[in-house]
Amino acid sequence: MNERESLFRRLSAACGGHHGAAAGGPLPGEAPIAPEGDRVALFAKTFTAADGLLLRGPVESALSDLGEVLRAEGVTALFFPEDDAAAREIAEALVPFGPFHLTTGAEVRGGSAAVTAGFRTAEAAIAETGTIVETSGSGKTLLPGLIADVHVSIVPAASVVARMEEALSAFTADPPRNISFLSGPSRTGDIEQTLTVGAHGPKKAIALLLP
Amino acid sequence: MELNANAFGRNARKALLDKALQVALGRTTERFLAHRDAAVAAFPEFEATRERASRIKLDVLDHLDTYLLRFIEEAEKRGAIVHVARDAAQAREIATRIARDEGVTLAVKSKSMASEEISFNEALQGAGVTVVESDLGEFIIQLAGEAPSHIIAPAVHKSRQEISGLFERHLGGPRTDSIPELVGMARRHLRAKFLSAGMGVSGGNFLVADTGSVVLVTNEGNGRLGTVLPRTHLAVVGIEKVIPRMSDLPTFLRLLPRSATGQAISSYVSIVTGTRRAGDPEGPERMHILLLDCGRSAILEGKYREILKCVRCAACLNVCPVYQSVGGHAYGWVYSGPIGAVLTPLLVGLAEAVALPDASTLCGACADVCPVKIPLPDFLLELRSDVREQGLKTPGEIAAMKGYAGVMRRAGLLEAIERIAGVLGQFFTKGKGIGGLPYPFSGWTERRDFPAPAALPFRKQWKIRRGVTR
Repeated sequence: MNERESLFRRLSAACGGHHGAAAGGPLPGEAPIAPEGDRVALFAKTFTAADGLLLRGPVESALSDLGEVLRAEGVTALFFPEDDAAAREIAEALVPFGPFHLTTGAEVRGGSAAVTAGFRTAEAAIAETGTIVETSGSGKTLLPGLIADVHVSIVPAASVVARMEEALSAFTADPPRNISFLSGPSRTGDIEQTLTVGAHGPKKAIALLLP
Repeated sequence: MELNANAFGRNARKALLDKALQVALGRTTERFLAHRDAAVAAFPEFEATRERASRIKLDVLDHLDTYLLRFIEEAEKRGAIVHVARDAAQAREIATRIARDEGVTLAVKSKSMASEEISFNEALQGAGVTVVESDLGEFIIQLAGEAPSHIIAPAVHKSRQEISGLFERHLGGPRTDSIPELVGMARRHLRAKFLSAGMGVSGGNFLVADTGSVVLVTNEGNGRLGTVLPRTHLAVVGIEKVIPRMSDLPTFLRLLPRSATGQAISSYVSIVTGTRRAGDPEGPERMHILLLDCGRSAILEGKYREILKCVRCAACLNVCPVYQSVGGHAYGWVYSGPIGAVLTPLLVGLAEAVALPDASTLCGACADVCPVKIPLPDFLLELRSDVREQGLKTPGEIAAMKGYAGVMRRAGLLEAIERIAGVLGQFFTKGKGIGGLPYPFSGWTERRDFPAPAALPFRKQWKIRRGVTR
């Protein structure tokens, strides 16, 4: 008998007294569903509460604000997924707004010394928690939200869902390797309980909300 | 991790005399508690969500064999290799074999309490693999050669000056009192490790049975880097962490961060499933999941099974007056606070941790905050009676308790003793209280004073007030 069989023999013996179908029965605690019109407003509030910086589109009017924020963070290099047209468009349009140049995720991963901003279109945003959802589904890269110093998420208003359940419902059958919920910047309180951003991930999380 | 739970009394005394530790503990537990209370108050559905989470976990315990089997099947379907370890020695053997077979020389690890149970780092380092802790708190105490003192804030006992000293010695950084600078030094040092490590090691906050997913919750983003960048991912997780469905996950994500740090959600939740798919630009080519029994199936069989509902939020630590006073190291093993006082004896054997069930005032605060409704005070009390039944109490204690029970069953005898004690007490202490008693009662008075017995016993006073007697 191998170790796995022996574990299941022990577990079955321990679970033995409990028959009947697994789960079942209604459970309390359904969070209330936010009215559709309020989703975006709630997301703006919760994302800000999670120490994210929310900018509102259209793109043309947001560019100068975004450029200013990135300059203040010392950003010089911008990168985006090759196949993300919206992210590419915004990063390219930003170049005149600062001492910015375009680079690639591979270059940043290889050890770029520049302060970087990674752009990526969110697959969904969750109003309940102020969360950006990014996945590795359909071969998408996670690097912009992973290794950049500043993460800029492009959030189409239509992609904002009310609750976590809705964001996860697409993945109940066959999830991609990675589903990430990103809520605000990377942070730590491990030194003297003092909240400090940029522990491992982005020091600043920006959402550009597009109508 | 080395077991030292029976030295609780000695460890606690040492902790109480450590002024720096006392300051750090007060600051940490107070802040965590305030944040938790605020987050719970701002979330009216907290109670209902808690009830729901408790029911889901109870269902899991009732059918752990079914759900765990489903988890393994789904994870393997998506390319993961699942290993099962009966005990710590076997887990170490499997982990080192994985590292050797994968050709790993550097592993970067995010927080995992389960890995502490099996002394994971020591095992891999013994096999020539460098293991770097990437959670900032864990990294700091790894440099210091210490053990975590809090589940979610492992370095609470270290000051910024001590940390700067460690970074100067180990990373060659300049001395600084600036916390952002210290965080930046660790970030740069560890980023290089993430980019070059052959294996990322993680724990797992939840295992999703119906998809075979491992869920990691972090604020720093280290769990995310370690599960995306290295070629191999190894998750070390206890078998009880399974939840039935992906749709159950939000319930727990609404409870864990609020209970742990008072956040509505932690900065990063990673749900990782199997190996990288064809066409994925990054993600590990190999994924191993090491499932630990290490005493859990035995707990499942007995009266303490509900302890396996624990999600390791540490709310019970922060709210516990004993933990607040002595900190995590005093408990002498991986888990501290009320959860440690129950779980440690169950995982390592009561005789090895006989002091821990007594490391509690039974005030009940832990049960009030537990997000999955574990009856911790009931378990602490029950463990104390197990200590007695297993003959682990001293004959003196047993005789004293027998005597106590005998007196409490006889009202007349109790009254007579109360009267005598009242008279003698007032005479000897002049009403000032008792500061010291001879052996065998010296243990009680060593660290606390008793008030002098009342001249008039309570029940007598009660009768007089009600006009029954005078």
